[in-house]
Amino acid sequence: MSLRNQLVRISTGGRIENEAGQIHVVTALNEVSFKLQDGDAIGLIGHNGAGKSTLLRTMAGVYHPVSGNVIRQGRVATVLELGAGMDTELSGYENIIRMGILMGLSLTEIRSKTEEVENFTQLGDFLQLPVRTYSSGMATRLMFAVATSTEPDILLVDEVFGTGDAEFQIKAKERMEALIKSVGIFVFASHNHELVRQYCNRFFRLEHGNLLEIDANAI
Amino acid sequence: MPSPLSRPTNDIYTTLMLPISRFAGIADIVQTFQCYRIITFMAFSDVKARYKRSVLGPLWLTLGTAGGSAGLGFIWSELFRVDATTFVPTLTAGLILWQFISGIITESTVLFSRQASIIRNLSLPLAIHPAQLLLRHLINLAHNAPVFFIVALALGSPLTLTTLLALPGLLLLTLNLLWLALFIGLIGARFRDIEYLVAMVMPLFMLISPVFFRPNYLPFSEHIIWFNPFSHFIEIVRFPLLGSTPPIFVVEIHLAMLVVGWGVTLWLFNRQHHRVAFWV
Repeated sequence: MSLRNQLVRISTGGRIENEAGQIHVVTALNEVSFKLQDGDAIGLIGHNGAGKSTLLRTMAGVYHPVSGNVIRQGRVATVLELGAGMDTELSGYENIIRMGILMGLSLTEIRSKTEEVENFTQLGDFLQLPVRTYSSGMATRLMFAVATSTEPDILLVDEVFGTGDAEFQIKAKERMEALIKSVGIFVFASHNHELVRQYCNRFFRLEHGNLLEIDANAI
Repeated sequence: MPSPLSRPTNDIYTTLMLPISRFAGIADIVQTFQCYRIITFMAFSDVKARYKRSVLGPLWLTLGTAGGSAGLGFIWSELFRVDATTFVPTLTAGLILWQFISGIITESTVLFSRQASIIRNLSLPLAIHPAQLLLRHLINLAHNAPVFFIVALALGSPLTLTTLLALPGLLLLTLNLLWLALFIGLIGARFRDIEYLVAMVMPLFMLISPVFFRPNYLPFSEHIIWFNPFSHFIEIVRFPLLGSTPPIFVVEIHLAMLVVGWGVTLWLFNRQHHRVAFWV
């Protein structure tokens, strides 16, 4: 392999192989296997490009593995990318309905939960304005609030808490603890090891696509 | 204990659908039927959003169609040497149907790419996107259809019980456009050039397809026109609208296209279903 490829391999996440012609094969996850059950709160840590987002998406059923199986039971809610499922021209209230519908709720269910989401986000009158006027932190709060309000069995969250302020962190923690108590699976990917230690009871480390379960002390 | 609101969708998936789940495309389409709420909500929401701050909103479509048929109708009837009272309803029906058909085909090239953020972040079946596209255009068609009926009533075009045959014709057309949208969407997600190819080719098709004229206007080449699939798409609805039943071969071709089209599309969908999230 050329020097350029060697350097690229050291600094980026997955393995890049097979520079045959123009096709590069990236192995984002390599022989990853684990079992999760109700009550597990997984902290997913790893360097940039290790495969955390890929793993979350594979668990959600967005990406499909080229070998092996993903067996999943229960409703999945994801907070993976800022603004996914939101229409920025619509108001906060309209987006609550939109995201709720996309996550599988019915209109009556969403309407009954709107007040709870209002109180959690504390966005007040901003909920009547189009989401494009929100800061990224406000948009994250809204997304997170709707995702957790759908009472999912499995919640997958990817590094979004960085944009929440301290007050939001407290509320999110309470919300998460309540969610975990209602017996579900929670997977949280982050670079913030403090947060991961706070929320999670099992810890996975990803390195260049290889998964290792570690102890709380080893973070 | 799962929460009371937990939908047993995934339990159905693991027990009943295990035999189907080997065929990713078919499983996807079965799951799409369960997502009817999402499809209807998104279609209506998109139509409303497009006209959010506009005053006339979707009436602009209706105005456009009305203007087009009025403007072209009377002058071109002289060009084609046909009576205006028969030509203008023909033209109006042709324009409305072409807007429907070409709108769907042109938008299906970017069908999955436009919804990339939903495809990459939410675990929803892919077939909801062509379904939503069709529904959205059917809503637009509903906005345009009154123009035809006003024109038909004003100019005395026959509106009999045969006109009701337009509805099953529209149903057949919609089912065909559904596989076409899914097929083009899949190819367009992988090869981005398809978007430009279709955009270039559709105006040409507009001129050679029986939009502004009917196949029987051509003294010598009528049978050649019928080789164009768009002729069948347009005429299966236009014949009843103008008061006569469509010739049986048009219906037969539609049914044949339905079978072959869905067969090929399902084959492609089964093969490439898992790759789409990576392509967009």
